Amino acid sequence: MSAALDYSKIFVRYDLKLERGTKEHGAQSDDILKKVVNCVVDGDVDNINALVTEALQTIDPLKVISALVDGMNEVSRLWDEGIYYLPQAIISSDVMLEGVDLCEQKMGKAMEKKGVVVTHTAEGDIHDLGQKIANALLRANGYEVIDLGKDVPVDEVISAVKQYKPIMVTGTALMTTTMTAFEKIASRLEREGVDLPFVCGGGAVSEEYVTGYNLGVWGKDASQAPPMASDAASGKNWRQLREKYNG
Amino acid sequence: MARFTSMAYGSADEMVFGTAKNPVKYGRDFEVGGGYVFPELVVHPRPGSEETKKSLLREYEKAVSDALERCVTLGFPGIQIELEHVYQMTRYPDWGGDIAAQTKKLMEDCYKKYGLKSAIRSTIADYRKPDEEDMRQSDAMKTTLEAFEACGAGGTDNLSIESVGGKEISDYTIVRQDIRGVLFGIGVLGSIDVENLWKQVVAIAAKHGATPGGETDCAQANVAMFMAGGYLDKSVPHTFAAICRAIAAARSLVAYEQGAKGPTKDCAYEDPIIKAITGVPIAMEGKTCACAHADMLGNLVASCCDLWSNEAVEYHDMFGGTSAAVFTEILGYDVALMNTAIQMGKAKDLRDMLVNSDKYRDTHGFILAPVNAYEIGKAIVSKSDSYYARARAGGIKAAELMRADANLQLSAFERQVLDSTYDALLSLPDNEQNFIDECINIYKKVVPGFKPSNYGL
Repeated sequence: MSAALDYSKIFVRYDLKLERGTKEHGAQSDDILKKVVNCVVDGDVDNINALVTEALQTIDPLKVISALVDGMNEVSRLWDEGIYYLPQAIISSDVMLEGVDLCEQKMGKAMEKKGVVVTHTAEGDIHDLGQKIANALLRANGYEVIDLGKDVPVDEVISAVKQYKPIMVTGTALMTTTMTAFEKIASRLEREGVDLPFVCGGGAVSEEYVTGYNLGVWGKDASQAPPMASDAASGKNWRQLREKYNG
Repeated sequence: MARFTSMAYGSADEMVFGTAKNPVKYGRDFEVGGGYVFPELVVHPRPGSEETKKSLLREYEKAVSDALERCVTLGFPGIQIELEHVYQMTRYPDWGGDIAAQTKKLMEDCYKKYGLKSAIRSTIADYRKPDEEDMRQSDAMKTTLEAFEACGAGGTDNLSIESVGGKEISDYTIVRQDIRGVLFGIGVLGSIDVENLWKQVVAIAAKHGATPGGETDCAQANVAMFMAGGYLDKSVPHTFAAICRAIAAARSLVAYEQGAKGPTKDCAYEDPIIKAITGVPIAMEGKTCACAHADMLGNLVASCCDLWSNEAVEYHDMFGGTSAAVFTEILGYDVALMNTAIQMGKAKDLRDMLVNSDKYRDTHGFILAPVNAYEIGKAIVSKSDSYYARARAGGIKAAELMRADANLQLSAFERQVLDSTYDALLSLPDNEQNFIDECINIYKKVVPGFKPSNYGL
């Protein structure tokens, strides 16, 4: 019976209409830095260590880091265009960070970060996958992440903000009955005179709720974390972020 | 330990909504799977109402009363209400217990006055943190068991849970499209944890005369499915998410091997496979759960359900009444159609319409169509020698079915993911211990806080 049905009269496969194809494999190259770039783009976990180690024998670590960043930028482009999915971006960020770590060891110091971001999942909530994805994407984009983990009490978030002086704080929650901690955090931060974007999102966390308290900026998904951090690092305040990303 | 080695049904065609091989009776004249489909309403309290026990009790009192009243107003024969715990209802076990007792009182009053059939499901919130604590001995574990006790004592009819064992691994691996890790996190660690947990749940249920209801792999396979999303999403590939689901069926099956009787949990999309193997009645959610999330198989999942649910709607006012009343009405008319089809001898016709609506809309609907769910079930029970072997067999079968049916259209990317995931599954070791050793070695290095001892490994 199924074979006789015309399914196009039942649903439309818009995903196939929008299909962008798959990434063509990058050109092979003898240039070690191009190999490093391709390694990140391909998410080649197995070979990044050997390639970066080889590159560092003759090339300045900062140039190798630059190649790693170029690879990640290409991954971001492929993801934006819908050719890559999230797993490809996450694996590539793993590869890039492993490479950066080797470069930093060679330099004997950590590369300068663009800023500190404190991330947490609300008290009473153990659903922290969104936070973990945001952490990975922020790190891959050059931010230092202070990961407070899940089920984090309000006091702990306030203390971390005072201690690390971040450019931005994020909060993740799955349930509406745990997200209420965000409002308390925002209120406490304001009382302490802290004025920074507090980006909240996840599960049932709505834009209406988050934009109902000062400092709150609603994050639609984890992929917004790096551009929001970039705006915060450039000096934009929570009102400007809210205007750009919400409403 | 007993494991399912055969199918409850002789063929997929026997599976239809309203009837289960092993119906369950409880509550107030309430039978699930005995030739009739009932609605199961899930209402969540508004933010802020969880501040005190008193305010939460009042919130549930209003929601439950609204639902029962709408049933009577529209002539619905019965309803199950799920008290799906918010954190506070499990963290403070007396809260969950008192809300169950209050709900029972409201239902008994309605039963005496109108004869409205009813039942309560209490779903405990598993707030254990697999990567931060001892999963078997932590305070969270003790409190979780106390919450089961309190709800049993409060008079709930069905004890259920969405457990989180193996989530530390599956969270890490789902977003990295690593099927080996998914198989380890869900198929092995998840199964071991479900076994340990459900032994205790079944004992508590027996003590209080409640029915040990159901499990769901909400914490893992639903993560993959929700991230896969719809046609516009680019998070987790849909083919990969479907394979995660097939693996999850082998994991949730463990609860029924430990003594759970069903009806299963509504958000366990693996349930058609579970029903095919065990014959327990199943709760499902589909188009009626649009209030909680988009669904690409909104009709298909009703095809062999015994309870029809809305997943979760926040309690608030709508034009047609409160959300509790409105969703009771939506669910009530959906099941009225199914029950009419049963009365008219047209149940299989309606089932086939529901299936064909979504079978080729997306990969999840495809593998959960009864004919495919049945085949995946057969693959699982054919490898009952280990949790690993049967979960792997389920995953492989799902991939084979997707690869073989030309009506299931896939993008080049999805086809690539399907083929590579299938190859990866085939390349894994046949021996469970070898697989476990390999995985412990890999994931101890990359997943902070992963403790094999949480699973007796």
